[in-house]
Parts: sequence; C-alpha cells; structure tokens
Amino acid sequence: MGPAHLQPQPAPVRGPLPAQAGIGLRFPHHRAVIETHPSVPWFEVHTENYLGGGTSLDCLEQIRRDYPISLHGVGLSLGSTGPLDARHLKRIGELARRIEPALISEHLSFSLIDGIFLPDLLPLPMTEESLQVMSEHVLQVQDSLGRQILVENPSSYLRYRHSPIPEWEFLGALVQRTGCALLCDVNNVYVSAHNHGWSPEIYLSALPLKAVREIHVAGHSERTLSGGRRILIDDHGSAVCEGVWNLYRRAINRFGAVPTLIEWDNNIPAFELLQAQAARAGGCLAEAALHAAA
Amino acid sequence: MRLPELQRALRDSLMGLPDPALLESIEAGALSAEERLNIYRNTIAATLLKALRLNFPAVEKLVGADFFAQCAADYIAREPPRSAYLNDFGAGFAAWLAADTHAATLPYLADVARLEWAVSRALVAETPATPDWAALAGVEDALHTQLRFIAHPSVTLLALESPADAIWQAVLAGDAGALASLDPAGPRVHLLIERLGADLSVRRLAAAEWEFAHALCRGMPLAAALAAHPELDLQGQLALHLAEGRLCAWHLGGARAASGLTSVPDLSEQSL
Repeated sequence: MGPAHLQPQPAPVRGPLPAQAGIGLRFPHHRAVIETHPSVPWFEVHTENYLGGGTSLDCLEQIRRDYPISLHGVGLSLGSTGPLDARHLKRIGELARRIEPALISEHLSFSLIDGIFLPDLLPLPMTEESLQVMSEHVLQVQDSLGRQILVENPSSYLRYRHSPIPEWEFLGALVQRTGCALLCDVNNVYVSAHNHGWSPEIYLSALPLKAVREIHVAGHSERTLSGGRRILIDDHGSAVCEGVWNLYRRAINRFGAVPTLIEWDNNIPAFELLQAQAARAGGCLAEAALHAAA
Repeated sequence: MRLPELQRALRDSLMGLPDPALLESIEAGALSAEERLNIYRNTIAATLLKALRLNFPAVEKLVGADFFAQCAADYIAREPPRSAYLNDFGAGFAAWLAADTHAATLPYLADVARLEWAVSRALVAETPATPDWAALAGVEDALHTQLRFIAHPSVTLLALESPADAIWQAVLAGDAGALASLDPAGPRVHLLIERLGADLSVRRLAAAEWEFAHALCRGMPLAAALAAHPELDLQGQLALHLAEGRLCAWHLGGARAASGLTSVPDLSEQSL
C-alpha cells in the first residue's frame, strides 16, 4: 500500500436515491461518518452550509465518494416577489456540479424581501399571484441548474385571510405548471394541519401521486400559551412522535416506497439514535413495499 | 394587499415596525396575529444570534451571554443579513461594537471581533487553484517592479491597537491566569490570519514585514510595496510568501482588490 493520497479514489456514487431511509447529515457527525463509514443508504445536507470552502466542504466531498447526497436548500426564497438572489443560485449550481446530488430541493415559502434575508420559511398567501411568482422562480431555478427540483411544504403558524387555494392544491398546480417534483414533509403536514385545523389525510390524498419523490419525517415541539391554547412548532429537535409515524405510514401507503429522511437539526443526538430512527422508517418502507406487492 | 406590499409589511413587522394592515390580513383564531408573528420573530432572532455566536465566540465570552445577545439584537436591527449564506453575516459587527456606547467601554472588544471575523473568513475561504509559478520567470526583468499579486482568499492582515490575539487565545482556552496578566491596552500588534492548508494560522509579524505583506496582498506593485521599507530583503520576503502559498496569482495590470478574488477577471491579467 502506498501513501493514502496516491490511492485511486473510487468513483462517486451516482444515480437516484434508493427508496430507503437516509439521515440529515450535520457537522457534529462529519468525522464519525468519514472514519466509521456507517451503514446509511444516503445523506441529505443543508445546501447553505456548504456554499463556502473549508473543512465542511472537504468533508462533504469525502462523504460523497461513498454515499448518495441530496442537497436541501433553505435560502433560495422561491416565493419572493423580487428577483431570485442570482449569486446564491450561482453558488448552488457550483456546489451541485461538485457534489452531483441525487436530488435538489427547496421550499414553498419566502425569506428575502427587498434585499433583506430573514432566516425562516415565511408563509405565502395561497393565491394565483403567489402561484405565478413560485412558478416563475421554480422554472428559473430548474433552467439554471439544468434539472428538476423538489419543492417542500413548510410548517406554518399563520394564514392570511385572503388565501383561497388550499395548500395541497397549490402544490399540485405548481407541479403542473413547472414540472417540479414534491418533497412531502409529513411532520410539516402534521404540524400545519394541527395549527390550522386542516385534515392531514385530505392534505396527503390531494397531493399528485407521482410527483412525491422524497419524504421528510422529524420531531416537533408543543407550546402551550395562556388559556391552554396549544401550537405545534417544527423545531427538528427531538425524535419523531407516534402521530407523525402513523401519518408517515399512510403517506407511503399512498405514495409508495419513497426515499425518506430523518431530519434532526437541534439538540443533535448521538448518531446511533439517528440510525435507530432511520431503521424504524426503513421498516415502514419495507412494510409498504410488501403491502404494494400483495 | 398585493403580494409585494404584503411581503414588505411582514418583513417590517418581523423587524419591529408593526403594520396594522398586515395584522388585519392575518387569520387570528385561537392565537392572535401578534402571537403568530412572534413565532417567526423568535426563530429569526435565534438563528441570527446563533450565527453571530458562531462567528464571535470570544467576544461572547468576554462580555457574557446576556450582553452579547443584547448587542446582537441591536446589530441585527441595524444591519440585517443580505444573503441566505449566513457565514457572511457579521461583517460589520466589529465596527458596530467599536461605535456602540456600551461596548466601546472595552476598547479591545472590537479588536477581538475584527480578529474573529478574519478567523471566520479564513475558515470558510475557498481553496484557489494551485498556481504554476514557473511562468513568472518569463516576465522581463524591467517589469519585475511592476508585478502585482493576488492573495490567497483566506488571508487577512490586521494591525490592532490591543493584543487581541493573546486575549482571543486566553479567552477561548479559558485561561484566566493568562488573561489577567495581559495589558488590554498593550502594544499594537501586526497579525497575519490565514488558512493556506488544512489548519488555521494566526501569528504576529514584525511591523515592516506586515506592511510589505499588506501592500503585496492588496495588489500594490512590488516597487510600491517595498518603497516604505527599502531595508527589507525583497527576494527573501517575496520567496517566503510564494513558498508558503500566500499569493495565488500575479499580473501586470491595474490595481484591484486582492482578498477574496479567486479568478482573474480580465485579459490584461495572467493567472497561473
């Protein structure tokens, strides 16, 4: 054996994500993944964490050699009425050329308003005007990146009085107008349905079946306000709750075995706990595949 | 309300300028519109505070978490981020600390913040293409003094009034003894901050060497860079910077900002 740097590097894993349960990769686990090479079918990272250079990008490039990667963005602000941030889009394109991700996804939301970036997924009114803005931007991003993107349903805590299109129909129309795919975040369906009094089952059953190419599951927290009023907050800071697991089973019974991600961004636990959550999702996927075959 | 107005009203409201028309346009229900907006305000404030804490950990330790959070909130209100790439958020924090009446009672604080920003820049700087300096030999001798260089994007050179590097190291190491023995108004320091390979480097240079490196990295012609310090060994200094990888391209064209430039944008330049 020669020095490590003279060894031929294996070709990066290419092709679609396997229909198995992947894990959201965060900085504290970079080193362990590189050194121990855990059995995980694929990883997803937040695009914005890798737009510069430095150690984190070096780590991702190493991990990329052995695992399929999905790039999940939180900063393109597809729903802004102004132009997209051209520099940001260009950087995403450069990262995509480097990492060759299996999927690239973003959100149904906005964050950039007249040049000020507010780091949260702000809700759009579900109107024809918003649909036009989202459609134009999704088409522009797909054109710039030369590929289809996935758009994710966000968790939301407010709705506008003038918001005549149900969110699930809005997503369907976006798919029709742009040819984008959907990332169905089952936890976000659960959280938004609770917060707005929607039926999560109606939400899932209305999404265009073939457009859903990825599913997210995550933990959320419950905040109690004065008078015992409860609101669910999508904080990705705990294990997936039983209610979300139940909704997830319904989702994959409808959408089939779709690549599924365990998202955990705050109070990041030991990697083994993420693997255990992914194993549970993997069990559900296997059940759904059997169910579909029966 | 049309979408552009609604988005501006939401932005203003989330940044502390309430808009009655916006409140009217939000469904209330079990929670009031303000309670709903507060959920977004909390997330935005927490995310931006975290971004500043990651870039300025020693400043936070020096002033304590509460005062830091207050400084951060004031700074965020005045200079909110312009891009989704939050590693770039905080460029003006050191200058803001220097001007803030409360923080200004600790004059070394802004210097530590300047150093931490340079460290943060170095950590996320992109790695430029490896230059081939052999082509430099082809430049006519008569033109040597007109050569200009482009610095590695991780390089920052800082001249600070207080020993910010020693304070920074002692604070992050939790070394109270070292901190107590420092004179915060101590001698001016000339620092070179960079990450040319895998590791971050923060070190002091002699004033003349620093001034030469600073002029060189700013893209001044060799002759001008050397003019203030004719006693310096030009060949030795230049060879050192080239050998250590601090310079990543050269040209004979007009002046341009060097730091952060990784490609060579016009035909009068030669990129190696």
